[in-house]
Amino acid sequence: MDMFLPYIACLTFALALYAALRPSPITVRVGMIAVAVAAAGWLLGLVAGSLSAFADASQGVFFVIFSLCAIASALRMITHDQPIYSALFFVLVVIATAGLFVLLEAEFMAFALVIVYAGAILITYMFVLMLANQATSQDEPDTQAAYDRIPREPAAAVAVGFLLLCLISGTVIKGTDVSIPGNLPAPGNPQAQWATLEHLSVQFEREVAELDPDFAWPPVSDEAGNSIHIEGTEVFIIAEDGSTLVLPDSMLPRNTQQVGWSLVNDFPVSLELAGVILLMAMFGAAIIARRAIELGEQEKRRVLLGEVSKSEDLS
Amino acid sequence: MTSSALAGYLIVSGLLLVIGVVGFLVRRNLIVMFLCTELMFQGAAIAFIAMGRYLFDYSGQVMVIFILTVAAAEAALALALVVLMHRQGDSLDADAFAELTE
Repeated sequence: MDMFLPYIACLTFALALYAALRPSPITVRVGMIAVAVAAAGWLLGLVAGSLSAFADASQGVFFVIFSLCAIASALRMITHDQPIYSALFFVLVVIATAGLFVLLEAEFMAFALVIVYAGAILITYMFVLMLANQATSQDEPDTQAAYDRIPREPAAAVAVGFLLLCLISGTVIKGTDVSIPGNLPAPGNPQAQWATLEHLSVQFEREVAELDPDFAWPPVSDEAGNSIHIEGTEVFIIAEDGSTLVLPDSMLPRNTQQVGWSLVNDFPVSLELAGVILLMAMFGAAIIARRAIELGEQEKRRVLLGEVSKSEDLS
Repeated sequence: MTSSALAGYLIVSGLLLVIGVVGFLVRRNLIVMFLCTELMFQGAAIAFIAMGRYLFDYSGQVMVIFILTVAAAEAALALALVVLMHRQGDSLDADAFAELTE
């Protein structure tokens, strides 16, 4: 029976989503969204077990708050009649996701997400929405375009979503079950994180000098070229005169440094390609959305005869 | 980070992905459809970062930087198309795109 509980949660979620997508009074739809969020919370509880799965209880509480907030606003986003409100609810999703990123110790990505998504991409969406949407008012819902008020019949889409959700949750539950031997790879070693510090040699030297001004720089490196040695929980470096210096955990490069190092060291070509993609997208957008200038009969004749002067041409 | 916590994050990412897929299939407004693709990107980003955190590997976060790049490029191109559509047909109905095949 325990095996089927997650799938029952998925089914509840899908049914509530279906009811929320049907055209019905606003209170019914919001209620159905609440049911769907409750089902999602149930699914999370079944999968993650209890708050003790997290480093400390407050982290678990924040995880629940942020994830349910993200799911609730995502649901409201796809059920709201007015595209503007959909975009605003998406901002809420982005901010809740940024909260999850902070919990995952990915501070740089959290801030980048808020700046790039909520700040730049969503503003672009808002611009186009304002440009393209006819003025609507809450009092007269009929002024809204029919394609906003009446969505497609959601049965097939929700069925697809239900199957996808079952597949994902089934895979996650099986894949993270530690009772199955050899299931999860052992978490990575901190060696790789310390290795970044060795590459940031200026910072490395400065921090060692701050820690122990008498330490004879540079430290001795082994055959593999690593000068930072790890034995158990001890991390230390050895000077040429044989004295050792234990490095505290606070010397580990911060998240932003690690990401930056990984970006330029492991993915330099992808970084260049990303730049090219952005440039091409900019050209593409400019060319697609360019408005051809309509010339009247008279202007056409004057252009043909070459009578247009420079100043007129610009106007 | 325990594997149960990882499972929790992966389920959240899966839920966001599923909501995005359903929204993409159900909504008829082009702009909202593109917003739903952004929602799917969010789900993928959470999965990447959670796995990266679990494995102590920063490549996960680098992938999210590339996701942001692709999302920005997609938004620029898609919105340019939407503006073009709106100029021609004064409508944001996705079904109106069928007329382009004539």
